[in-house]
Amino acid sequence: MLISITEFIGHFHPVLVHLPIGILLIALLFQWLSHREKYVIPHNVLKLLWVIGIASALLSCITGYLLSLTGEYDESTLSLHMWMGIGVAAVSLFAGSKVFRFKYDKTYKVICVLLLLLVIVTGHFGGSLTHGNDYLTVALFTNEKEKSTAIIKPINNVQEAKVYGDLVQPLLESKCYSCHGAKKQKGKLRLDSPGFILRGGEDKNIITPGNALQSTLVKRLLLPEDDKKHMPPRQKSQLKEKQIALVQWWIQEGASFDKKVKETDQPEKMKRVLASLQTGAQKQSYIHNVPQVDVEAADEKAIGLLRNKGVIVLPVSQKSNYLMADFVSANLFTDKDMLLLLPLKKQLVWLKLSDTKIGDEGLAVINQFPNISLLQLDHTSITDKALTVLRSLPSLQSLNLVGTAVTASGVFGLKDLHHLQSVYLYQTNINTVQVQQLKKVFSKVNLELGGYSVPTFDTDTTMLKPQVKKTS
Amino acid sequence: MTQKELHIQRLVKEAEEQVLQMNTRRHFLKECAFGFGSLALGSLLQSCGVGSSSNLITHNLFDPAHPLAPKLPHFAAKAKRIIYLHMAGAPSQLELFDYKPELLKLNGQDCPQSLLEGKRFAFIRGVPKMLGPQAKFSQHGQSGAWVSEHLPHLSSIVDEISFLKAVTTDQFNHAPAQLLMHSGSARLGRPSMGSWVTYGLGTENQNLPGFVVLTSGGKFPDAGKSVWGSGFLPSVYQGVQCRSEGDPVLFIKDPSGMDRDLRKASIDAINKVNEEEYKEYNDPETLSRISQYEMAYKMQVSAPEVMDISNEPDYIKEMYGVQPGKACFANNVLLARKLVEKGVRFVQLFDWGWDSHGTDPSLAIDLGLINKCRQTDKAVTALIFDLKQRGLLEETLVIWGGEFGRTPMMENREGKQNPYKGRDHHVDAFTIWMAGGGISKGVTYGETDEIGYYAIDGKVTPYDVQATILNQLGFDHEKFTYQFQGRPFRLTDVSGRVIEEIVG
Repeated sequence: MLISITEFIGHFHPVLVHLPIGILLIALLFQWLSHREKYVIPHNVLKLLWVIGIASALLSCITGYLLSLTGEYDESTLSLHMWMGIGVAAVSLFAGSKVFRFKYDKTYKVICVLLLLLVIVTGHFGGSLTHGNDYLTVALFTNEKEKSTAIIKPINNVQEAKVYGDLVQPLLESKCYSCHGAKKQKGKLRLDSPGFILRGGEDKNIITPGNALQSTLVKRLLLPEDDKKHMPPRQKSQLKEKQIALVQWWIQEGASFDKKVKETDQPEKMKRVLASLQTGAQKQSYIHNVPQVDVEAADEKAIGLLRNKGVIVLPVSQKSNYLMADFVSANLFTDKDMLLLLPLKKQLVWLKLSDTKIGDEGLAVINQFPNISLLQLDHTSITDKALTVLRSLPSLQSLNLVGTAVTASGVFGLKDLHHLQSVYLYQTNINTVQVQQLKKVFSKVNLELGGYSVPTFDTDTTMLKPQVKKTS
Repeated sequence: MTQKELHIQRLVKEAEEQVLQMNTRRHFLKECAFGFGSLALGSLLQSCGVGSSSNLITHNLFDPAHPLAPKLPHFAAKAKRIIYLHMAGAPSQLELFDYKPELLKLNGQDCPQSLLEGKRFAFIRGVPKMLGPQAKFSQHGQSGAWVSEHLPHLSSIVDEISFLKAVTTDQFNHAPAQLLMHSGSARLGRPSMGSWVTYGLGTENQNLPGFVVLTSGGKFPDAGKSVWGSGFLPSVYQGVQCRSEGDPVLFIKDPSGMDRDLRKASIDAINKVNEEEYKEYNDPETLSRISQYEMAYKMQVSAPEVMDISNEPDYIKEMYGVQPGKACFANNVLLARKLVEKGVRFVQLFDWGWDSHGTDPSLAIDLGLINKCRQTDKAVTALIFDLKQRGLLEETLVIWGGEFGRTPMMENREGKQNPYKGRDHHVDAFTIWMAGGGISKGVTYGETDEIGYYAIDGKVTPYDVQATILNQLGFDHEKFTYQFQGRPFRLTDVSGRVIEEIVG
């Protein structure tokens, strides 16, 4: 009970500290201004300011000491803050005594300057204690690392990874250390080393090896987000389900600090979670991202000319100047008209020419479009000749050649396009044997030859009939 | 005065009154706000960059003169088009994807009271019996997804698909649940997802509608046409229902004796009258009507060609299992592929007949459901393969699902055993799958308890599904709004979370 009373009083510290800061600064300000006649205030008032300032400084010291006993703070900063706080009280007492004795000598001026500096620096350390060392400057230097979504870096071979070191520890580091680490120890808990984790905090055993659901650490993660005891606190960035599952599984498997993944039991769900951490698992096929660096806006007139021809030309998003062009309604567009695209050569990233009259001749200009990443040429009259021009499209990621007259040798010529992810070759002059050869060269590319069939089972065409119920 | 003159006089008077009716108090206030009020306020707002009265309209992304012009999303899209396969009536997750061996052990036992307390069901009364899974399950593909024997074709493509196994809803009747799934509200009046998407993105192919609806199964979805309605959005964004047999759109051919030039001339004349009307009343619905006439005229040429599945090669027809000349799901699926290939933004399919209550053989869990699977499995699988080989899957998002799930209990309608095995409507857990359009491959997200009654992990709501679909199309669902009755509305209302776990 006694402990909780001292802690209760200690919790007044963050409120009380503002009094000496404000009052002492005001006292110093008026002291300095009193050189001018119109700001002179009665000496009695000044004395009163000093008395309240000193008293609140002393109170802050006492409450601050009581708060420090809870041990939730970084010790080196804490002792600095404490001694400087005591310094503030002492120096202000000394200055105050001089005011009372009306002794405005040189020492007094020095003391006043010292007090001003002490108040500012002590206040700063106090702020660092509650908000963290980087609180003041965090807005100026945004940490790029925090922005990346993947906390656990893709791992070459998940089975060889260490459960704690490679999977759990990075999670704790990004989500927990800021309050349970070297700088702060909320609830007297540190999570930044195996020793601290085993020692626990106010709750003694935060993990029960082999029984994840009995472990406080897991319970706190699993509580509903609006629960007071839920961790991380509501306004902080939360763990994803997959990540909680990892922590849970680590404790269930005995919370070992040096076991490898392959030495553990992996339930079905964990196998999937683990597989998603493997390098390459994140790779998906979808419409491709636009370049990181934006370009200047394209010429509106040039866009207007294309729109008159029925071509849809739009930025890929509201925040981008990169353009997509879609020819689905531009039936009358011919090879010659391709020149109209030239003013957009820097901006064009997605080009859909599917089922148009464009042929090799029209595509001859395509090598001037360095940023094209998605090119759909399906059901056009292009041949291998056009493919030779495509060789100079360094950003090309997805190429649709369905229903064209291209051959294997033409596609072979694209082997140096390093960003290429998918090439669609359905209904072309390429056969399965050639695709196998192509796949050796394009080992990282999805070569889609198509030609799928779905067998017709008997059950697809026969419907079950209800049995006629025997009436007895 | 002759009879005829009297008649004409009456007509003129009626027309005048009609004109007066248009000028309601509402118009007066509006006019004042834009007229007198804006003289003062307008200049003030303009200095703040808020904009003039014309901006107040475009604020809604709606350009009355070109309501279907292509527009750009908030961020670069991963999917450009949607095919939504809605199995109306709600297929049983317990016979298709959500394998529950524990439920088999409880087969035939009384349902424990704890599962019934505080619950309301559509038809179950008293204490029903538990009903074990009525299908054999096995794992498929590298992802090891569980699929039952009823879907032999789909099990071959599970690695292309991501499953949401813990979808929940709060509506246990078909119509409200379907409305919630598609319009974000269980009550009438909100725009459907397809309408939102055409409103936000316009239509790619100026000769085809942006939002096409195809139905099969012999019945409309219970929620009726509201489920593809445009709600408070301009009606130009509502779904265009097409037929998969005969003329795709009724009366699309010119009547005999009318050639195309005459048709064009008459449409032009009607549009001219409508434009006059618009000049007078500024009602954007008039412009919708004009653009619909124009669309209809253009569709006379484009629609019969695109919507005719008979011109597809035989091996494609065989792959989908189409039945030429009939109205069936397989035909609609093939048609859906043809439409997205031609740039239709949103193709919505409804297939009725999945409401396996067990009240008659066609609604029995061990008969009707199996037949529904047989009618659809091949076509759905063919769709994924076909989109994939054409390079369309990477930019087309396919969604399969119903409006809710089915109970692990056998239905006992009004306390009496149904004649066939069936399950009642269930809101607490069901399965939806998605493929293509930037969705991860082979992921299973969400888990239900041992008997498939409650979602215990990875629970998602219809709002989350909608938020995810909009996200794939490049929209931040929280910023994609329409100003109506004094407040901005959005598809996901006040909830919704993008299901990052299945977004690649």
